[in-house]
Parts: sequence; C-alpha cells; structure tokens
Amino acid sequence: MQGATIQAPGLSTYLKSLKNTPVDASVEHFISLLKRRQIRNSRPCAIATTALLLRVVAEFKGRDAAKLIERIKQVGRRLTSAQPREVVVGNIVRRVLGLVREVVDEHADGQTPNGSEPGHMAPHPQHDSLHRPALHSSISTFSPLRHAVVEPTHAGIYPDNASDVSEHSRRPPLLTSHTSYAPTSAAPLVHSLFGLFSQPADTPSNTSTPTGQASPNGKSTLTALNLERLADLHRGQSLDLKGEVMEGIRELQDELETSDKQIAEVALEHIHANEIILTHTASTTVQKFLMFAARKRSFTVVHAETYPHDHTATHGILLTGKKREANPDDDGVDKWKPLTDVGIPVYVIPDSHVFAIMSRVNKVILATHTVLANGGLVAAAGAHMIAKAAKEHQTPVVVLSGVYKLSPVYPFDIDELIEHGDAGSVVPYDDGDFVDKVDVENPLYDYVPADLVDLYITNLILADTHPRTSTASLRTTTAPKILPCSHFPKEQAL
Amino acid sequence: MTETPAAEIAPAPASTATPQENPPATTNGDTADAPKKLSPAELKKQKQAEKQAKRAQAKAASGPPNQQQGSSKDGQKQPKDSKQPSKEDKSRPLPGRRRASQPNVPAVKEPEKKAKKEKEKEQEPTQTGLFFGHLYSQPKQQSLVGASKDVHPAVLALGLQYSSYAICGSTARMVAMLLVFKTVIEDYQTPPGNSLARHLTSHHLGPQIEFLKSCRPLSISMGNAIRWLKDVIIKIDPSTPESEAKRDLTEEIDIFIRERVTAADRLIRDLAATKIQAGDVVLTFAASSIVEQTILHAHATGTPFTVIIVDSKPLFEGKQLARKLANQGITVRYYLITGASHAVKDATKVFLGAHAMMSNGRLYSRVGTALVSMLAHAQSLPVIVLCQSVKFTEKVALDSIVGNEVAPAEELLSEAERRLLLPLQTRLISSSSSSKVEDKAKATPPDDAPADTNDVMKWIGDAENLHHLQVLYDVTPAQYINMVITEYGSLPPSSVPVVHRLSTNI
Repeated sequence: MQGATIQAPGLSTYLKSLKNTPVDASVEHFISLLKRRQIRNSRPCAIATTALLLRVVAEFKGRDAAKLIERIKQVGRRLTSAQPREVVVGNIVRRVLGLVREVVDEHADGQTPNGSEPGHMAPHPQHDSLHRPALHSSISTFSPLRHAVVEPTHAGIYPDNASDVSEHSRRPPLLTSHTSYAPTSAAPLVHSLFGLFSQPADTPSNTSTPTGQASPNGKSTLTALNLERLADLHRGQSLDLKGEVMEGIRELQDELETSDKQIAEVALEHIHANEIILTHTASTTVQKFLMFAARKRSFTVVHAETYPHDHTATHGILLTGKKREANPDDDGVDKWKPLTDVGIPVYVIPDSHVFAIMSRVNKVILATHTVLANGGLVAAAGAHMIAKAAKEHQTPVVVLSGVYKLSPVYPFDIDELIEHGDAGSVVPYDDGDFVDKVDVENPLYDYVPADLVDLYITNLILADTHPRTSTASLRTTTAPKILPCSHFPKEQAL
Repeated sequence: MTETPAAEIAPAPASTATPQENPPATTNGDTADAPKKLSPAELKKQKQAEKQAKRAQAKAASGPPNQQQGSSKDGQKQPKDSKQPSKEDKSRPLPGRRRASQPNVPAVKEPEKKAKKEKEKEQEPTQTGLFFGHLYSQPKQQSLVGASKDVHPAVLALGLQYSSYAICGSTARMVAMLLVFKTVIEDYQTPPGNSLARHLTSHHLGPQIEFLKSCRPLSISMGNAIRWLKDVIIKIDPSTPESEAKRDLTEEIDIFIRERVTAADRLIRDLAATKIQAGDVVLTFAASSIVEQTILHAHATGTPFTVIIVDSKPLFEGKQLARKLANQGITVRYYLITGASHAVKDATKVFLGAHAMMSNGRLYSRVGTALVSMLAHAQSLPVIVLCQSVKFTEKVALDSIVGNEVAPAEELLSEAERRLLLPLQTRLISSSSSSKVEDKAKATPPDDAPADTNDVMKWIGDAENLHHLQVLYDVTPAQYINMVITEYGSLPPSSVPVVHRLSTNI
C-alpha cells in the first residue's frame, strides 16, 4: 500500500492541488483520498483537513456566522463519514467550528457585554491579570491550545506557568482563542471564559477586550487594545469573521507543525542515561523525541518493527530517518538524521520478541493514532500487547501525542474504531490456496486501555497526565480544554 | 536448489563471487565426502573473489572525492566500473532466505561466510545483540565444510536440515536425531580392543552430537534423548556381541520413540481433545505437532469448533498449520502477532505447544508464545500447554535472555520485505550524512532499476548502530499457564519437576 502512495496521489499532491482547485472539487478530492486511504494516519489527515478548511472558509461568501458554521459542519460531516476512523479529521473540524463560534461569541460579547454571566468571574479572577502582561514573544508557539493550558496554570496546578505565559503571542486575538477552549468541566463556566474579560466590558479600561480584528502586529499595550476595541465597537457588525477564522486556522496549522517539536522538547525530562527504550512503528513524533534526547543522553532503542503494516516505514525511518510518505517539503526545513547517526544503538526486533525483551526495557514510548475521551488510545496494531507486556513487567509506558490527536470520541464500541487492513500483506494473494481457505485478518490498530498507559506527553507540555490517577484530570481539566468540541456540545456529534 | 544462503551479504563485494552451483546436501549419506572435494575449488573461488574485491575497493577508494562533489553523473559512472562483481551477483539466482520451504541449503561459499562472521565477531563482540551477546558464541554451521570427518553422512544431512529449519520443532528434531543415530549405530564398528559401551558414546556419538550442536543448539528434548541414549549404551553388558548390542540399541531407540513420542502424543491428543467443546474457538500460536494432532483429532470426533492461528515472522510456522487444518475442513482464522490482542478477544481456549517445560513451571517455547499467553491470561482464557514429558527439563529459566537461541539477524527481513525497502535507495544516498554510509552507497549502483535486495541488507549492515536482533524462544511465566497436559495427565505448571522426576526415573 505504501509502495503505491509514493507517486500516487497523496498528501503532498493534494496540498498542491488545493491552491488552484475549486473548493467543492477539493472536498470531493479529499473525500476520495480518504476513502482510498491515500491520505492516512493522523498527521497527514490533520494537515489536509486544516488546509481544506482554510480554503472552505476563504471561499465562503457572506458574513453570516451561522451559515459559515453550517458550511463547515457540512464539509466536516462529509469528511468524517468518508473515513470515520480517521478521528483526527473530526477533531480538526471541531476545532475550526469552535474557532468560528468563539469569534462570534467574542463579537457578540463585544456588542452586548452584559450578556456574559457575571458568575464566571469568580473562579478565575486572577486570570486576566496574569495573562495579559506577558503578551509578547513568538507567534509560532501561539495556538489555541497553548492558551487553553494557561488555565490550569493560573489555578496553581502547574507551577511553571511563568514560561508558558511568556510565550503567549502578543496578538489580542489570543484571548479569543483562549476563551474558546475554556473548561466546560467546571460547571459554572459552561460557555466561556470570555465573561472574564468582558465583565467590566463597558468600561473601556478593561484591557482584555476581545477585539474582533486580528491584528498580529498590534501592540499589546492597554491603550492599543482599548483603541482597537473602541474601534470595533463602532464598527459594529463589520466583524471580519472570515479573516479571523482563517487566522485561527493558520494558527492551527502552526500548531500541527510545531507539535512534534514541542513534544520533543521535554524529552530530556523523561529519558535518563543508558536507558533501554522500546518503541514501535515509524512515528515521526517518537523519532524526534528520541532525537532530541539523543543530543544530551546516550541510550539504547529497541524498535519493534510492526510487521506487517508499518515495517517498511519502520525500517525506512531507521535507515534514513524519514518516513517515505513524509511531506517532501520537510526535506529542506529540518534535516532528519536517523537515530543511529547520532550514536544511538537501535535494535530492530520482530514484534513477537516484545515480551522476551521487556524485562530489560526501562521505558516504552508509544506513538498513537488517536487518544480517546476516556484516556485510552488507538494506536498501531501491536501497541496493546506492548503496553500490556510493559504493564506486566512494571515498565512505564509513555504515549506521545499531539493535541490534535485528542478526540472527544468515547470508545463505546472499540471494534468500530479498529480498521482492518489488506490481508494480502499478511499472506500474499499469490498463495491463492491459502487465502481461499483461511480467513486472514489484518487489524491495523489496537485499542490500548487507559490503565496501561502511565503518561501522556502532548505538545501542551503541561498536559502530562497519568490517565489512571488523574483520568479525571485528563478529562475534566485538560481534555475538555484541549478538545474544543466539549466547549460546544453541539459539535460533539458534528 | 540453486539458492544460496541469504546471509551472504558482505559489505565488500567479496561475497559476490561467481555463481557456483553445487549439488545441495541430500538426505542420504553420499555427500559425506563433499567437503573434501569442494574445499580446494572453494578456496580458489574465494581467492578470486578476494582479488576482485580488492580491485573493486581500490576503484571505490579513488571514487569518493568525485562523488562528494555532488555530480550525480560521476556517481553513476564510477560504480559502473566497480560493478563487475555486482553484475555477476545479478546473474546469480536471487538468494532466498533459508526457510523450511527450502529444505536443503547448498554448501556454497561457506568459508567466506564464516570468515566474515568471525570478523564481525572480532569487531564488535559486545555490541551485537544488545544483552544477548552471550548467545552469539559460535557461528551457526550451515555447510558441510569444516565438519569433522568422523561425522556420519546422515548426521551431516540432518545438521543442514536443522540449520535451515527444514526440520524444526523440538519433537521433530529429537525424533529425526534418534532415527539418524540408529543408522549411525548400525554403521558403527567397534575398533578392536574397545568395548562398544565405552567407545560408542564418547568416540563415535560425540562428534555427531557436536556437529548437530554446531548446526543449531540442541533442543531440550534432544538433550534428554541423548542423555537417555548414553545411559542405555553405558548399561550394555560388555560381553554382549556387537551385532546384538547394536540390534538392542536400535530397538531401544524405536521403543523410546514409540513410548515417549508416538504413544505420548496419542495420550495427550486424546486427553486434550476432550477439552475442546462444541462452539469453542481454539487459539494457538505458531505451530506445534501435538496441537495440530489434538485439533485434528477433535475435529475428527465431530466437535464443531473453529481455530485461530496467531503467527509471527520470520518462520511463519503457523501458515503450514493453518493450511493443514484448513485442508481438513476446519474453519481457520489467521492473524499475525501484531493482531494478537484482537485474536485473543474472540478465542475461548488457548492451546500452546512447547519447546520445553522448565522446572519452575515456565514454558520455553517459540518466541511470541509469552505474548499470546499473557493476552489470553488477561482475558481469563484457559491457557493449556501440550507437552510430552520428554521435553521436561530440570533446568529453570527466569527470563528469556539468559538461555535462548539467536537466529541470524538477516533472517529478519524476507526477500519481499527487502524489495519493499529498495525505493529508499535514493534517499539513503542523498541523505546519508555519515561518511561511512556514503562510501558504501557508492559501491551500490545508484540507478534504481538493478538495485539488488542484497543492497538492503548491506545498508542495514553499514548503518552504524543499527542492528537487527532475533531470538527463537521466549519464556512464558507460569502464572499465565493454567494447565499442562502430558502423557501423565493434566497438571498445573508447578508439577513439572515431579513429572520430570517420574519420567526420568531418578
């Protein structure tokens, strides 16, 4: 299958075609690519979805937010039904929908500041003040998610908030993004934290006004904000809905791009010298994570090859440091070297060896396809037995996952989430006799229950969570904030 | 039968000697003198190859600066000159993996191979094999070359069948060994002045066993059988005439096989088949003759049930089992080990074969068994081990690392998989940053078409720090095993030492 995708249509060709194809055709194209599995796996799907939605929003005519939402929903529904198991597509659509709503909310709040429940103020009175002063630094780190995390920081859960806060971009719209992912879990905050900012809204001195305009260059000084806000209020309906949503989507794209890097940055906190680390499949996230750690630490990697789906990619990534289907544009940007080039011994083992070797493994690092609402995850086949074997040997299991993989889907029916692949890769079809008589099965994914995972590392660094001890916290504090849909229950069903 | 061992992938083109087709080792004894006949020719060949390699290397050495300028034309031209050996390489049939399907491995080019292996050993004795370094003690014997001349021809053939996995499975290996020993004993002449009881074991059987050991480490059951055989031989009354003693011995061996294997199999099969009930979904891992018999027996009695076979690379033993069962009309589902957690979900019982049962109740079996039994245990499925008492051992094992058998790493990638990796070539050459890899990349022709699957192994061999690791067995903790069925009945794994004592009459 992978062999076919090299020249065949795939993510890169799709992204190229996107620029000069009408939106509807692009949607169709994407749907067919999804159906044909020519775009597969979380990251390519996420990238393609964001790119497509950017186009959808860009081509959207009119100012009616409801219509825009309807339009995105309609596209999203089609995409998700095209390939329901690529949960990431749904995640991205939900995020974009959340984005739109947030812009609208914000605008509405700007219009009628009193509409926000005053009750919201109480839980996070300090939020505003903490958040605002540090508005500067790079845009790249700026993403809705980052802001979402700021929340717990202020609540005092995470002591190292300072650095995080400082990373906030200076753009006032930050605040918008922030609000959209406000915790739904906390009952009183059902709608958004926006209330916080808008509470004294009619007093121009309230600095955190949600300005409708996305003005990346805007100084975050109070005066500038005020001025903008005033201007906004005057402009009334002339909210640049589209522009702001597109801005948000671009932030999302940034996030997708940087999530691996952000995850990798904490590698040193998790890998000690001379460790033996077991991983599987060809995951860029994991490879980058290990690469980052390899700069400072020496350790040994044991790599299960994940036969028969990912073994080619696995061997490829170990030989060249790159996935074959990786976006060719990446080549220039970051030169990946295989892990072995930086002096990390890598041992490739067949998957059957996992148990035999586990007793000597210090840590298991898994990549994932999706993280589900209950903290369980859907990962490449074999992940379950690896995690289980690790559990039996009391070896910690660390799952690396970009936030875009966190999904609000609850695994009521696990089998529904498991995709079965080409049986021909298990037993080649030229063995006709065998294939005729024997029912060959090739599940591509495993469901790994949350209790087998010790730690999630996401690109919200603060979201490291032990799913069992703090499943509640993953779900109630982190996940809902990360999972935009939960903010807008309407989107849950898409 | 012109296949050559796949292991033949040296970084230098030395391995690409001119094709040479030798009669493969056959199962009868005629090949005994083959090594002697072969050796001079072999040596010549090897020297030629070495010369060629040197030439090629000299050329390659002159090449690099050009290549580094980045002109791809240079790069293409240069390897063409040095391509001489690789052209020959292509003319040679594609080397296949040694497999059960290729029963006989020809004895071609062994010296080179051994030399290469030894070199590797010297270079990085500690690096190879992670913490399995202690198992890499001796290179696997895969040819007749270098075998002691005392080795009986039948044993030579058997040894090659062992090392090529043509005879695989602990019981099969033991039975085959005993049958061969029968011929060995029949052909044996006690030298004058010696008694059979004293001489046969140490002087005649010894070298045979040594050779078999060098082909593949002895299985537990083989060890047990050898111990038993030695015991029988030593008890022979020295006054017994030689012919009579030999006849007695072969009879004893027949009885042993009949009692400990054939009859035991039948007992186990009958007992285990009663555990399969209507509607059961029996899961098994890889292949075991006794599991196969059990399933077939249960099927013959008319019980409706289905079978799930979980298999693993590289031997894919389960495939043969699946084929056999399916041919008997049993509904079979086939998973690879990555899908084991799905397979286990649908199963109701797990039947496992054994390589050996350890005295601490642990099961020593094909690698992957532990995973399957772990998953089954987690699902509260009964895990039943079928094991003849001849496979019980007084040895203990705590993990799968101390005692195990390493398989050659190059067996990890099958021919088809290597082919899938070929497209990586361009990227590998362009992206390889380590100079070492670059040098090697030059040795391989950069034009994609003629890329050889051997190159893939070469890349892997060249990639520093990248190792392939393969062992054959793992140890399943006793707590995953609910029941062991032997010819003495069914018992918990904790009773293994008792049965062992019973069966060895100690």
